[in-house]
Amino acid sequence: MTAASVRIESVTKRFSGHTAVNRLSMEIPGGGIFGLLGPNGAGKSTTIRLIMGILEPDEGRIVLFDSPHNSRALSQRIGYLPEERGLYKKMKVLDHLIFLGETKGIGRADARKRAQAWLERLGVSDWAQKKVEDLSKGMQQKVQFAGALLHEPELVILDEPFSGLDPVNAQVMKDIVVAIAAEGRTVLFSTHVMEQAERMCDRIAIIARGEMVVNGTVAQVKEDFGGRHVALGFTHDKARAANILADRALIARVDDYGASAELQMADGADPEQLLAALVREGVGLRRFEVVEPSLHAIFIAKVGADAATAPAGVAA
Amino acid sequence: MKKIIAVVRREFVERVRTKAFVISTVLLPVFMVAMVLLPALMMSGGDRTSRIALVDASGTNLGQAVSRTLAAEKLGHGGDAKARYTVRVFPAASDQLTAVRDDLIGKTGFSINKEKDGWDGVLVLTDTTLANGKLTYYGSNVGSLEAMTKLQRAVSTALAGVRLAKSGVDAALVKQAMSPADLDTTKVTDGKLTGQSGAESYLIALFMSFILYFAIIIYGQQTMTSVIEEKTSRIMEVLTSSLTPFQMLLGKVLGVGSAGLAQMAIWGGSVFVLSSQRTPLAGFFGMSADAAQSFPIPSMPAGLLVVLLAYFALGFLLYGALYAAIGAMCNTIQETQQYAVFVTMPIMVGFFAVFALIKDPTGTLGVTMSYIPFFAPFTMPVRWSLTSVPPLQLALSLVLMVVVLLACVWLAARIYRTGILMYGKKPSWGELWRWIRA
Repeated sequence: MTAASVRIESVTKRFSGHTAVNRLSMEIPGGGIFGLLGPNGAGKSTTIRLIMGILEPDEGRIVLFDSPHNSRALSQRIGYLPEERGLYKKMKVLDHLIFLGETKGIGRADARKRAQAWLERLGVSDWAQKKVEDLSKGMQQKVQFAGALLHEPELVILDEPFSGLDPVNAQVMKDIVVAIAAEGRTVLFSTHVMEQAERMCDRIAIIARGEMVVNGTVAQVKEDFGGRHVALGFTHDKARAANILADRALIARVDDYGASAELQMADGADPEQLLAALVREGVGLRRFEVVEPSLHAIFIAKVGADAATAPAGVAA
Repeated sequence: MKKIIAVVRREFVERVRTKAFVISTVLLPVFMVAMVLLPALMMSGGDRTSRIALVDASGTNLGQAVSRTLAAEKLGHGGDAKARYTVRVFPAASDQLTAVRDDLIGKTGFSINKEKDGWDGVLVLTDTTLANGKLTYYGSNVGSLEAMTKLQRAVSTALAGVRLAKSGVDAALVKQAMSPADLDTTKVTDGKLTGQSGAESYLIALFMSFILYFAIIIYGQQTMTSVIEEKTSRIMEVLTSSLTPFQMLLGKVLGVGSAGLAQMAIWGGSVFVLSSQRTPLAGFFGMSADAAQSFPIPSMPAGLLVVLLAYFALGFLLYGALYAAIGAMCNTIQETQQYAVFVTMPIMVGFFAVFALIKDPTGTLGVTMSYIPFFAPFTMPVRWSLTSVPPLQLALSLVLMVVVLLACVWLAARIYRTGILMYGKKPSWGELWRWIRA
């Protein structure tokens, strides 16, 4: 699969005066994991809903699988987990999954088999005959996750798939997402948790205020961001580092976490200079490492100011 | 198509499985039977022998004649039926009349068996009764129109007999001449006897219009509620990614409608079975076959059942689609009330038109109403049950119904398409118009 799974061409979407997505263009190639990153209110969910054909773009167009059809006509090839989870509360779990399978055009008997297999895989097969409303939120989310993947779509679109899950369940979902990508299928997921995106994604796009900020493979994005970065871990006497960290000739940007910090060196400054200065001041160090910039650092640097002023009350 | 069937199946199965469905399916016939049976049982409770004291101050044999006539009245038709009245004559001179009367009235109107020699009523014949027909009845049961009519009829008969006898007419001839007319009614459809009495047609019509009214309102509002539930639970978003709004709307309305149709079929079918098995059934309750015929289970001809179900189906699709559109426009049940009124109103008008129709089944109003698609689901089955409807009229009504139904489904689908994903404020009329035109 070399053709683009999704091609967004200069798409704009406005909601009563507010522009949620502004001339956004990007291409999600077939295969691999694509992360759509952005602060709250950046337009991530709107973009995904535009891709899903739930919303119509005001301008521009979206092409799926290089096909002239919209996502509903292609829905057999697409799996979707919306940000706002929703299931029929009174339905039994197994019946619900069968129904979701049927709406994707799978036959009833086949849907039943697949649903049972998925419930097994997610470890909720004991709950197959229980009503959805009897399940915990996390379990409901797993069921909906299964519903989105039941028909083995070649493009899986997940809106904030890991939010609200405990680490164990998040791990289960992560493994499934990775497995899907390993089969050559495409996963597009949105998140604002950078660490996750950094570890999982082949490609990312960061959007803010409905506009593209950064777009490309993770390695490329880091390279483009440039600069030399140092990760510090403090043990004691951190206060003595204050002056050094404030020295703009040495350090361009500080991301202070308290017990640790991530720094971007100023142009022409040398990490050795920094280490020498810190040792001279008697700052207790647990870690000193020259690193690639984290997505988090890039994200903060690129949209930090924007994020703080992101319009409130608008769904991401 | 496969997807629509999946939606229909889900709506149907999930609805039929609920306790509410099972309970209402069983309970409504029980309720209806109780509504029909209770008054019948209560009236039969009133069918006990009345004890009447007859104060005769006429000075003629009028008292004897009235007493004889009353004593001959029976409570039922059979030979072993109990007498309707037991009568004792108290002859009185005109000047003692008031005293005798007041004494008897003093013993009247106590509950049964409380006062041994008490009376249910005192009938007073004066010396002018024979001439001007005026007499007075004092009793505890004067409120019962039926009892008073019967009493009046009996006394009239006696009075006429005495008058004729006085004019020299032979007593036997008088008796023959005075035997009353007994009117039995039977409905005719298409030149054939249906075996239904007038009372039965009326009962069926009433029963059906109630069922149609409740079923359409209840299932229509269920459609509306379930759209709102899908909106609030946000499952709508998953559904819209794989189903077209038209598929969702049609599947939902058909699914809810078929649950309603199943319920109606169970109800109608049970009436059909009850009416065709009325004789063994009456025997089961220890009634004679004769009593079974007067047992108030209306008979349900197969043709009527078909017309009823057809109009329910069309009517429900029409109103269900409109209710679904309202559900799509709103976010909460409370919000729907403002719009639902526009759908509930025609349903109510249709329902009340049934009463006009029952009064005059061949009148212009009823006939006109049975052509108007919004009212036809209520009026046409009732008209069908009351009179014979020409096939051409039925066909015309059905065609009009289908045309308007399609128009409404189209309109509802336009609103549905935009409405299901709108959260927040309700649309204004202007916005609604834009949704439809878009």
